[in-house]
Amino acid sequence: MEEDKIKSSGMQPEDFQSQEKDIKPLPENITGRIKSLYLKARENKRLYKTLQISSVTLISIFCLLFVFLFMLYIVPGLQELTSGGKTRFTADQELKKDTNYKKLTQLLVKDIQRLSKKYSSYTPGQSYVIINTTDNRFFLYRNKKLIREGFCSSGSYTMLKTEGEKRWIFRTPKGKYWIQGKITSPVWRRPDWAFVEEGLPIPSKDDPSRWEYGVLGDYALSIGDGYLIHGTLYKRFLGMPVTHGCVRLNDEDLEAIYNTLNIGSKVYIF
Amino acid sequence: MKNSEKKKLPGKMIILIATGAFLLVLLVYYSLLSALAPSRKRAEIEKSIGPQQTSGNNKDERVYSDSAYNTLLKEKSFLQARISMAETDSVYMVLNIHDSTASLAISGVEVHTAKIREMKISRILRSGNEYLISSMFASPMNIVRDFATIRKEPLMIKMAPKDTSEFKPDIIPDTSDYEPVNYIMEMDNGVRIFIYQESDTITKDKHELFYFDLKDRMKNIWSSIKSSARFKVPEYHPFIKIRLPKADAKILYRAIPRQGQVAVYM
Repeated sequence: MEEDKIKSSGMQPEDFQSQEKDIKPLPENITGRIKSLYLKARENKRLYKTLQISSVTLISIFCLLFVFLFMLYIVPGLQELTSGGKTRFTADQELKKDTNYKKLTQLLVKDIQRLSKKYSSYTPGQSYVIINTTDNRFFLYRNKKLIREGFCSSGSYTMLKTEGEKRWIFRTPKGKYWIQGKITSPVWRRPDWAFVEEGLPIPSKDDPSRWEYGVLGDYALSIGDGYLIHGTLYKRFLGMPVTHGCVRLNDEDLEAIYNTLNIGSKVYIF
Repeated sequence: MKNSEKKKLPGKMIILIATGAFLLVLLVYYSLLSALAPSRKRAEIEKSIGPQQTSGNNKDERVYSDSAYNTLLKEKSFLQARISMAETDSVYMVLNIHDSTASLAISGVEVHTAKIREMKISRILRSGNEYLISSMFASPMNIVRDFATIRKEPLMIKMAPKDTSEFKPDIIPDTSDYEPVNYIMEMDNGVRIFIYQESDTITKDKHELFYFDLKDRMKNIWSSIKSSARFKVPEYHPFIKIRLPKADAKILYRAIPRQGQVAVYM
């Protein structure tokens, strides 16, 4: 049988034997080598000590790492396992027939209906606008239905600082506001920061250089505290946070909003 | 010489074994105390808002474990919490675990809604007493602190030019969306809400999330170790972990005020 194998492989019997010799004693060689290396290391005290220290260090690091990982990941998992105690829920038919139970649930249902009605009454039936300052988008609603959406520009979150202690933060306020005024052909009264920003001296309050025409578009809607929803010359910046706190829109969107919203209409900014 | 070496080795070994054993004992002690923490929290909740604490104690005890009654109660609690938040003019968050949505609302008007892609909820909230859970969430939770990988307000500081020669017109702002969005909000009732951007993101984002999570875990471990050292059961924080699309996660974080409010419906 073995001879057949040798024949099929096309090798001479001596060749095969020599190959077998090469393969079989290898493990012994390795252990022998390790043994000799170990003996050599033992003879070399410095090397032996270094090996000993490094192996102890490695084991310690491994143990510490295990402890660390155990505390980081296993213990929280363990907490989840032990937080158990599933509550049993019943659908007790006897309880369902109980008059007190019926009264209780009826009372709850009534409460829920009342509260649902109250909650839905918060959404205005009239027109309102929602402004998303993170994505710089607006959503115009009429009769609780979305009628228009598009891009806008909101506060840039820039803090303008002077060498003195003066500072302004250009952010659009968030929360619920309402339209307090509607203006056609608005004129911009440049505040102090508009001069500071350009390195110009701040003029007196009634200085004619404060008035700028045609930069706010055809309409402006005031939401209080000096903040406006208005048009812009910089239409390429729509969809970006670039303003000093006001909300800028393109001409068509501004006209639609101006025509849809009335004084008192809600403006939701987030 | 050889004998003394032989004598030294077992001594070192004993020290090593003793240290190992000590560490093991500490680990077991820490694990046991930590394992006790959820039941302690549960007892605390029961004590403060359990059935015996609520008015109308003449109710049949079976009512508290009746699923139909509890479902109605949860719905009522959720509405109550939202109405309470709607009374303010501020932005608040509504987590509807039941519908897998996370939304923002202002004065009762839903202004933004995002679909929750993944969620993991603490077992104490998932399988605990529904009566307790609905009582726990009947009033809105207040955010006491938050940790995030993004800034709440991406403020850029610009120095005013001294004169017109120094003035440079504004360049287009950098709106590239490279920041990973992960944050944790700690509530006044001890619940922690983790909001992570959804997982199909770039490797860098995954690394950021790993370090963010690791940092938080280490912070918790430190406080747990401190409690354990004082022979106290560490504090347990029930959690709600959700994953949202990155853009939605960012919108939610930027919109909600620092001390904002959150309502949860399970």
